[in-house]
Amino acid sequence: MKTVVIIGSGIAGLTCAVRTAEYGHKAVLVSPYPSERAQSVMAAGGINASLDTKGENDTVQSHIEDTLKGGCNIEDRESVTKMCEAAPGIIRWLEATGMVFTRDDNGNIDLRAFGGQSHKRTAFSGACTGKQIVTALIRKARQYECSGMLERKLGYWFHSGLIKDAKCYGALFYNENERKLEAMYADAVVVATGGQNQLFGKTTGSMLCDGYAAGKLFEQGAVLRNLEFIQYHPTTIETVQKRMLITEAARGEGGRLFYYAGEKRVYFMEDKYGARGNLMPRDIVSKCIYDAPSQVYLDVTFLGKDVILKRLYEVYELCMNYAGIDITKECIPVAPSVHFFMGGLAVDDSHCTNIDNLYAVGECASKYHGANRLGGNSLLAAVYSGMTAANAINEKECSREKADFNEFIIREEKDIEKRLRSKSKFSAVYIRQVLSELMNRDLGITRTESKLCEGIKSVDYYLSISDKFKFDSEVSPYQGYSLKSMLLLAKAILLSAKERKETRGAHIRDDYPERKPEFECASYATFINGNIEISFAKPYSDNKACKEEQ
Amino acid sequence: MIVKIKRQENSDSKAYWQSFKYNGNMDTTVAAVLDFLNYNDDLFDTEGNPARRIRWECSCMQKTCGACAMIINGMPALACNTFLRNISSKELVLEPLRKFPVVSDLIVDRSIIYENLKKAELYIGEYAGADKKEYEQQYQTAKCLKCGLCLEVCPNYNKGETFFGAMFANDSYISYTQSESRKKEIASEYKKHFASGCSKSLACVDICPVQIPTLASIGRMNKKIF
Repeated sequence: MKTVVIIGSGIAGLTCAVRTAEYGHKAVLVSPYPSERAQSVMAAGGINASLDTKGENDTVQSHIEDTLKGGCNIEDRESVTKMCEAAPGIIRWLEATGMVFTRDDNGNIDLRAFGGQSHKRTAFSGACTGKQIVTALIRKARQYECSGMLERKLGYWFHSGLIKDAKCYGALFYNENERKLEAMYADAVVVATGGQNQLFGKTTGSMLCDGYAAGKLFEQGAVLRNLEFIQYHPTTIETVQKRMLITEAARGEGGRLFYYAGEKRVYFMEDKYGARGNLMPRDIVSKCIYDAPSQVYLDVTFLGKDVILKRLYEVYELCMNYAGIDITKECIPVAPSVHFFMGGLAVDDSHCTNIDNLYAVGECASKYHGANRLGGNSLLAAVYSGMTAANAINEKECSREKADFNEFIIREEKDIEKRLRSKSKFSAVYIRQVLSELMNRDLGITRTESKLCEGIKSVDYYLSISDKFKFDSEVSPYQGYSLKSMLLLAKAILLSAKERKETRGAHIRDDYPERKPEFECASYATFINGNIEISFAKPYSDNKACKEEQ
Repeated sequence: MIVKIKRQENSDSKAYWQSFKYNGNMDTTVAAVLDFLNYNDDLFDTEGNPARRIRWECSCMQKTCGACAMIINGMPALACNTFLRNISSKELVLEPLRKFPVVSDLIVDRSIIYENLKKAELYIGEYAGADKKEYEQQYQTAKCLKCGLCLEVCPNYNKGETFFGAMFANDSYISYTQSESRKKEIASEYKKHFASGCSKSLACVDICPVQIPTLASIGRMNKKIF
């Protein structure tokens, strides 16, 4: 029996834990908070699979082609094929765990249209699909908690990988209850910590997803990939406390985008792309909204109150509650905002990183989505990647080799204690805020060389003083020690964006507006001898590119 | 506006009250007020004394994760879903939930919720298949945030030692109706930890931030097993 430490308890982490336990291995699911607090519960619209319950002759092949095309042809066909082929089975597996899908009048799992897709392919559960999946997986996980095959560890913040000579032996955590570092040794470590939202402050996602794990593992030798591709979701709404997502399902159900020219409504997406214009891929819709001459609105009023309350109730409630807009009568003012990260830890087809025994799943891994993710493919990738990593770990030979990390752990403990006592004026809490301001300023929906260089210069300054950061004693030390690696990750993102001198998908360069064939590949960021290096390689060479960096 | 907060550095320390002046936007939520106090500038209380940043739990900021449950002017609620415009008093009073041990300031330890669900072994085992009659109720109950508000207001719930409260009734309902192989075990746990202790005050129904129709879960369960 192997022991697998899984960091993060959202959909990808839960799936990996459940599958690991099913194989008869011990899954240790570690997170600061319970699964109900994970960002996965915020996923609204649905999960893609070519079930073809609408009689539209949808096929797995169409799903593959749509995904590759939506990702602007830089993703590996073989990896995408495997995921799309597995998708219908994943829906059946979720159903058998107790996931409550919305069904049509015949009792079939209903499907809705989503952006960039040639057929109705998105299975869903009202407008809270992520929450419904999480609820089902929690109960499945409980079955294995009861049998002792799955152990949950709450109150633990990731600190670092226990890595020696490009091999991972476990992970180090800050135990919030005991207020000390705690090592967990394992045969494999799976990172499922989500996206990099906090680099940008308040986004549509969770306040808990900050990219720290990816940044720290990068510092420890893991390769990062496609960092420049940051998805701006086209339809978000300003509220008093953050920008909130208006799910693509609103357009999937028929919602129309327009702006006013005088008193006349201009349905600019339909004018430019025809009847399905509102459901173009997100990168295209976001750019069109960004370029619109005045405020853009989303209109769903014509769907009627019954349809809205039945199929988009969560959107209705969110708008009413946080913006005072009754979407059965009024149009929703929308604008693009940071939503999803196509970039993350580079992984091979088994979701292993370039570090042996270290896996990455869900949004923190970069796979399948290329330069632009299609709606409904993130929940699919979360479940699929969790399963794939568990399968690979099950099949892999276990070496049982041990390594001693005591010296490293003592050194890190002393550093935290020293920083908590520090009288330095550089408060980590404030610098986190400054970081989000500069990322929003210099890495917006459109980018230029000069802005990116400004961003790099600012981040370099904060990195140069990172040894003087004071960990504010009144918040968790995690808020302090996470900052340096977040800054490093931010720099890697800015450098990746600077080096990709073209416009592709979510990466829009004002100074390089064309797509260029020489960039039809993935970008890789490596941290070698204290320097970040960016290189480009064809996506099908992911395995090779990763391993070569060791 | 004066914001009065019940503070407690950690689980071993003594609680005390501290007041702050809030002069930010009034068209906002309690969650945004806490964010403003913590991050707008260094924090001082109304007496001008430097103060620790206020610790509270937060993830989604949009009523989807249940992290920010606390007592707001005497009423248990989610901070991200409580608007200042709905507070008539000139003072905003914040306290941690009372039925759970305090971790720090407004953060409480709600692990008893998960321990009880595990203790009762609430899982479905073999799936019974989709049942059209139950879809809607199952969908609604699956929205439970595990925020603990229903337990906070329940006159029958104390520390969760024997009576597990409304969230348990909802989880029992969905597990029971979806299970092929474990109906008997789930029914037995439901009787033991919910049915025998609920006095039907229905405070849980009114307080639920996602409006779960708990009464329907109870009614359906009782009809099926008694």
